[in-house]
Amino acid sequence: MRLHGKSVLVTGAARGLGRAAAVACAAEGADLTLLDICADLPGVPYPLGTPGQLEHTAALCRDAGAAVLTAVADIRDTHGIREAVTRAEDRFGRIDVAVNNAGIAAPSGKPVHEIEEDEWSLMIDVDLSGAWRVIREVGGAMSTRRAGSIVNVASTAGLVGYRHFAGYVAAKHAVVGLTKAAALDLAPTKVRVNAVCPGSVRDDAWAEGRMLAEIARALEVPVHEHEKTFVEAQPMNALIEPEDVAAAIVFLASDESRQITGSVLTVDGGFSIR
Amino acid sequence: MSALLSDPHFHATHCHALRVRSGHSPDPARRPGLWIEDVPVPATDPLAERRRATELARPGRDPRQVLLRYADGLCDLIVVAPRGRWDRAALNRLAAGEPVAPNDARPAPQAALAPPAPAWGLGGEGPSDPHVVALDDGGDEASWLAALAVTLRRYDPDTPPVIGTDRGGFTVEEAATLGELKPSSATGPALTGLLFIDTTDTTDIIDNTGYSALSGVGETEYVPCLAPPFPLTVSVFRDSGGPRLRCDHLSSHFSAEIADRFVRHLVHVHQQVLHRPQTPPDDVELLDEAERARTAALGRPPRSLTARPASVPGALARIVAAAPERIAVTDGDSGLTYRELDERAAQLVCGLRARGVRAGDRVGVCLERSAELVVSLLAVLMAGATYVPVDPAYPAERLAHTARDAGLGVVITRLPEFPDVADCVRVSPDELAKEPAGGRPSPEKNTSPPPPSPDDPAYVIYTSGSTGRPKGVVVPHRNVIALVDATRDEYGFSEADVWTWFHSSAFDFSVWEIWGCLLTGGRLVVVPYFVSREPDQFRDLLVAEKVTVLSQTPSAFAQLLDVDHTDVSVRLVVFGGEPLDTRMLLPWFDRHPERSCRVVNMFGITETTVHVTEQTLTRKLALAATRSVGRALPGWHLYVMDPAGRLLPPGAAGEICVGGAGVALGYLGQQELTGSRFVPDPFTGGTMYRSGDLGRLRPDGRLEHLGRIDSQVKIRGFRIELDEIRSVLLEDPDVRTAAVLVRRDDPAASATARIDAYVTLSPGGDPAGVRERAAGILPEYMLPATVTALDALPLTANGKLDAAKLPAPAAPRPPKRDTAPAAPAPAHDDLTASLTEIWSDVLGVPVGPDDDFFELGGNSLFAVRIGAALRARGLPSPRLRELYRHPTVRGTVAGLRAVAGQDPPM
Repeated sequence: MRLHGKSVLVTGAARGLGRAAAVACAAEGADLTLLDICADLPGVPYPLGTPGQLEHTAALCRDAGAAVLTAVADIRDTHGIREAVTRAEDRFGRIDVAVNNAGIAAPSGKPVHEIEEDEWSLMIDVDLSGAWRVIREVGGAMSTRRAGSIVNVASTAGLVGYRHFAGYVAAKHAVVGLTKAAALDLAPTKVRVNAVCPGSVRDDAWAEGRMLAEIARALEVPVHEHEKTFVEAQPMNALIEPEDVAAAIVFLASDESRQITGSVLTVDGGFSIR
Repeated sequence: MSALLSDPHFHATHCHALRVRSGHSPDPARRPGLWIEDVPVPATDPLAERRRATELARPGRDPRQVLLRYADGLCDLIVVAPRGRWDRAALNRLAAGEPVAPNDARPAPQAALAPPAPAWGLGGEGPSDPHVVALDDGGDEASWLAALAVTLRRYDPDTPPVIGTDRGGFTVEEAATLGELKPSSATGPALTGLLFIDTTDTTDIIDNTGYSALSGVGETEYVPCLAPPFPLTVSVFRDSGGPRLRCDHLSSHFSAEIADRFVRHLVHVHQQVLHRPQTPPDDVELLDEAERARTAALGRPPRSLTARPASVPGALARIVAAAPERIAVTDGDSGLTYRELDERAAQLVCGLRARGVRAGDRVGVCLERSAELVVSLLAVLMAGATYVPVDPAYPAERLAHTARDAGLGVVITRLPEFPDVADCVRVSPDELAKEPAGGRPSPEKNTSPPPPSPDDPAYVIYTSGSTGRPKGVVVPHRNVIALVDATRDEYGFSEADVWTWFHSSAFDFSVWEIWGCLLTGGRLVVVPYFVSREPDQFRDLLVAEKVTVLSQTPSAFAQLLDVDHTDVSVRLVVFGGEPLDTRMLLPWFDRHPERSCRVVNMFGITETTVHVTEQTLTRKLALAATRSVGRALPGWHLYVMDPAGRLLPPGAAGEICVGGAGVALGYLGQQELTGSRFVPDPFTGGTMYRSGDLGRLRPDGRLEHLGRIDSQVKIRGFRIELDEIRSVLLEDPDVRTAAVLVRRDDPAASATARIDAYVTLSPGGDPAGVRERAAGILPEYMLPATVTALDALPLTANGKLDAAKLPAPAAPRPPKRDTAPAAPAPAHDDLTASLTEIWSDVLGVPVGPDDDFFELGGNSLFAVRIGAALRARGLPSPRLRELYRHPTVRGTVAGLRAVAGQDPPM
């Protein structure tokens, strides 16, 4: 068991990558604190996670043997995050691993000069600042304990540009930058910060992900066409499965990666090679 | 921000936990803050166990209550709290659903640093599961502190015990009786700790609660610490669960086996503290009867010996009869078949008998390694006599001592200068064979003596102890036979094997080489002395003779490793005679993987017939620098005992005592010494030998050899183990071999004592770096004052380290460029001047014309380098044997002149 006895916080855990990461950690012996907004956000043109989905993730983790706490919180709300962290520390004594997974892909689908002020701010607030807020809440205790691993879920959009996704690309590039800067700040106290950059992840029915569908919708192309474009762009000639990304997250969460910090691990079937 | 960990209450070592099993959930409404976890498996499922274990290891600053609800309807309520503010009774009340306010007590501050892992703990990787034992009697805190102190002192007499508690450290000063032992507070890192939990006076609230009554199950588990606050933490409970003890340990400090045994011994000692208070602490028994029997059994090998008692000539006769024409001995270009060996020995028997040698007499044999030496040894045995081998290279004084001490009437030798000793006749093998004194043997008269009995002495070999004069060890025939029987099958010895005979006949390693080979029908290849000292020639001989079984001291083997040994095709290397630094074997394993050559380290003692234990070595063990010398040979067994002759438990270091088939008859003519070293074996009724060697048994029965007991020295009041310093040096990647000794500038003044280290280095290594790195590991008082690099460590005639020939250390000397020899000898000529300069360069010390090469630290490798330097200057270079004959510059020059006078100049 690679995460036996560890206490792991996952944000955006109701479905998709967050669910896959949580269940993978549970299967490796971790106990989990699952955080999700469980509500729709004005300005985001698709439905976000629901309380039922979060409870389903929790049930899947319990079936895998984990003790689970759930917390409904908006990643833009420092108080909500702090409350969830405090509850996790009361329940599990500490947080060993934080997986910053919460994020949105839209509003997108327009050229950079047409983005509205509030669209831009929302994207940065959720995708970039949300990760920073969690680091701020857990980093101190981790430093005091001189142990801990933070995994930021960025994207290939954190490495290259995509047309009509300027806000998302900017936020994800910034998450990569945040990862490197935070890694330097926390390295003296043995706390590690790394990023994973998933390529195009399949909207798996089990995980109930819908990122791919929403990106396709933003681009106003049919999902299967968008899938086909990405399969061709990824040299391994396949979409990424949520489990593939979860496996990278488990590795960065575990002590196997104890000398890895500030790194950016791509899980993109080779997309960013060229 | 959060300061969870700086708060000691939050640390797992400061928290305790209670688990209560029930059949129903409590009413969550009556328990605010209760965490409820549904576990989707029955309570007996491994997942359920894991969940319980995780909760019972999870600290909290405030009390935490978690309810695990299993699929089968059972529940576990787990309450965790810092024990400094919520004691055992408070946990009970919390579990019963009562509100409990914290008390003000603060836990004792945790020692900043755990003490280093003790050698006896055999820690490392491994399980650290706690274990619980039931007690007859709970005692009190003072009785347990006393028992802990007595037990710890037995395991490690040199470290004053400090026992940690939540109220600080305690020690127990020594006293006349157990009853007088009193704890007093003490500071310092505590290796062990005691948590004494007494709730016998508290009403057991759990039993009076609806919670428990509701359940009908009521099983409770109390965890006194979620992580051990001290490397070995003993918790003693006196509560409704009956007196019991729980032990938590850090696997880095203690192996599970050692922790388990330590607790058993502690409990046994505690019984004595309680019930026999008048006992002096020194008389306390650590082991009870059953444990003694188990520990004694641990020193016995798994295989038993199936020996056929015989005499050496009797056993050899069967080999001769089976294959008389097979070659028995190869000596240079000549050889002897088994038949020839037998016949020639029989001839010498006549000569011996004609000179009055009778069964039971001792006969000296002082010959160079050669076929005729084997014939002579065999002849002595066939005559029913005992051979006493003496090395011709020994000083006259030692030869004379041996002849007198052994009462030799006849010495077989070619040495013209063998000293005159009263009543001792010198005779050469030729004289014995051809011209028996007192007339020719008449063929019709039956001169063959009765064959010796297996119990008769076969040989007497003199060993030099660390003190006193050499003493003769008397070894009977049956021991030699047992040695061969104990190893023949395991190592597959057969007539296909070719053995080297490398070692002096006066060194008992040769008993193994000669009789191990001949009694298994092999071919014995004589290694002449000068070949044994020149590794390239020795290597050539191993290749040319297709040697399969090579026996070596580690020091000699190190020299072989310095030359290219790729073509050597031995299938078995046996180490003996000295401690082996297994790391030095790595270059060997590079060329000769385990599947092509087996490497075995045998720890042995002359008094127990060459070998005692066997440890097959692998690259893996060599990389781990194992100190194990393995388990006893079949028929041999060993114990590790304290100075009072009591068995020590595995882990604890004590004197290695050896019993069984190898124990010698005693020391020749030394009743008193024999009586003190050869003592009754308390377990078998036989005799066991107290070796004076320090060792520890591992829980698997393998022995670690820790050096001589008397190699412990004191410097400035510190007790120092030279072997420990040596092993630190050997851990340095640049160091290949090392020797450490203590010197005194003024022998009378112990304050002038200084540790000098000698090392041979890998290419590029430098002694200053070695010392610097050692300074990072060794305490200041153990750090060698000097580290001197040598090309090779000097060896004795037996191939062991020759400490007397180590040169003066490098560092304290001024640089040699600035130093002239104390009494500069006028350089009479260029040859003397060149030789002096070269010697001085090679040896790294100033050289005078009459300085002895060997006293300056010279050895065969230095000699080779001197020869090369001479040749490079176009000067004649002496053969090694010339240098041995004339070990001074003056002598060498004279020798070279004499040669030059006969031959045309070079």
